[in-house]
Amino acid sequence: MAKQRHVIVGGGTAGLNAILAIREQDKGASEIALVSDERPYARMVLPYYLGRSIAESHVFTLPPGRLAQLGVTGHIGRRAAGLDAKVSKLTLDDGTVLEYDDLLIATGSSAVRAPVPGADGAGVHSFWTLDQARGVAAGIATGSRVAMVGAGFIAFTILNSILKLGARLTIVEIAPQILPRMIDATGARLVEAWLRRHGVEIRTGATLAAIEQAGGRQRLRFTDGADVEADVTIMATGIKTNLEWLTGSGVRVNRGVVVDDHLRSNISNVYAAGDVAEGRDLVTGEAAVHAIEPTAMEHGRVAGANMAGGDVAYRGSLLMNIVEVCHLDIASFGAWDDATAEVFEAVRPERPAYRKLLWKGDRVTGAMLLGPSEDVWTTNDVGMLKGLVQSGVRLGPWKEHLQRNPFDIKPAFIAGGATARLLPQTVLGRPSVPAGRIP
Amino acid sequence: MKVLRIVPERCTGCLRCELACSYMQTGTFQPARSVIRVSPFQGHTSYAPYTCPQCAEGWCMTACPVEAIGISPVGAKVVGDDQCVGCKLCTIACPHGTIFFNHETQKAFKCNLCGGNPACVEVCPTQAILYEEAETADWLGAFAAQRSGPYLATAAAGR
Repeated sequence: MAKQRHVIVGGGTAGLNAILAIREQDKGASEIALVSDERPYARMVLPYYLGRSIAESHVFTLPPGRLAQLGVTGHIGRRAAGLDAKVSKLTLDDGTVLEYDDLLIATGSSAVRAPVPGADGAGVHSFWTLDQARGVAAGIATGSRVAMVGAGFIAFTILNSILKLGARLTIVEIAPQILPRMIDATGARLVEAWLRRHGVEIRTGATLAAIEQAGGRQRLRFTDGADVEADVTIMATGIKTNLEWLTGSGVRVNRGVVVDDHLRSNISNVYAAGDVAEGRDLVTGEAAVHAIEPTAMEHGRVAGANMAGGDVAYRGSLLMNIVEVCHLDIASFGAWDDATAEVFEAVRPERPAYRKLLWKGDRVTGAMLLGPSEDVWTTNDVGMLKGLVQSGVRLGPWKEHLQRNPFDIKPAFIAGGATARLLPQTVLGRPSVPAGRIP
Repeated sequence: MKVLRIVPERCTGCLRCELACSYMQTGTFQPARSVIRVSPFQGHTSYAPYTCPQCAEGWCMTACPVEAIGISPVGAKVVGDDQCVGCKLCTIACPHGTIFFNHETQKAFKCNLCGGNPACVEVCPTQAILYEEAETADWLGAFAAQRSGPYLATAAAGR
């Protein structure tokens, strides 16, 4: 019997985890081809490369030796140009045609820039790919003035690195608050005050009108208010899913590739994972695109296990984000912005610390946390809040306790029985194997 | 594998496990750096130590984007300092709240079973922490629920 032929399109977190899951299961019995327009690397660690706390070599996940060890044929530097799902053929941008028995769409997202004049000018960068990270790293020196356009999660992951490089930072955000898709207005006010105390300038509600070149610098003009001058401008103004190449493929696309609980698209031998997949939200049960690292990882593993002949149903992905800026941890989970939920919250502005719990009945369905990262309870509570939302444990009398003190998560977690619900849970229905032991 | 089995009824809240653990993990006696944590229940009249259950999924391990977390010869999920970049993804992925972060080193750290000779077990004067062949389990849930019942009722009545 001919070997099963798997094609993985995309070398990011989803693609990497799919490859590992296939090899964990089949020990090398199939053919795997990986198509990746970049040398595969871990996007999550690019901020640490920017901050020079790790070498560039640290970011790569699938160097040639590892591909060989895993028995993967790399088509590195190549893009998928077109998919004909009816005949199971993928065409690459150099004309190469790959025939497959099954294929994973894991092409991720790309950075988009605010559509203003000058957005592509000299000194204006995105921060999404390794190449872009190199550009930003080369542009920033001690004393540089850096303008960050956009105050979302991606922008916040690199604030520490920019400050560590000795740059002066101004953040401008079109929304009335920073981190508008990660925390609420109360949390945002605390973070804004914290950052100002650490020397960061912040302008919210600021609509960028144009970026002009001014003697090797950029001058950012706004519809209202003073200009901002910068040596380096970073456009952290959002991402879009890389789906264009699927036009005419026969694969059904909504906000992402629509997948079932096996991460399978409408075409039975085509799977999708990560930022490009519209899967199930664990908390709401609704279709959602979660463009976050943990979802890409879990999607990739489930898709890979199923491509290798497994039968793994995915429970759904839990929306979660954590970022630390100037030793302040900021995290949110699940349905943290559900306007229909019952809400308990508590603020200690002097720390600053903030907890917000969102409830459906006696279950926590969403949570937000903010606090100094050296506070012992901050790190403990991050995990336990995730555990409460993930387990969906019914907290009974502990709900009232948490209403009195939303900071006192731990006894509720332990006595509420979250551990017993969580211990049997695995993503693939079996104990996880460390990547280093695969295949 | 051998796991840390907690017998909460035996815990007296002396915190020796935290001191020993922090010394093993960070070289200093500071309970705030311990990865086993004694929790009070029932208004500080009952105590129980809580630590990583070395779960089957290894949420921390699979979440790590640089494969810094592996499984040691004794079966513990362990963080490799050379690989860890300090991104904190493991702290948000772990649903048990048992991944910690060292602000001096900017690395994640967690219970590694002291390489098979857990210090918390050695120093516990009442054998509330045992290291033995067992399936990992929720050692504290029933104890904590039972001990907390009267406390919760009193607190609710006093509102």
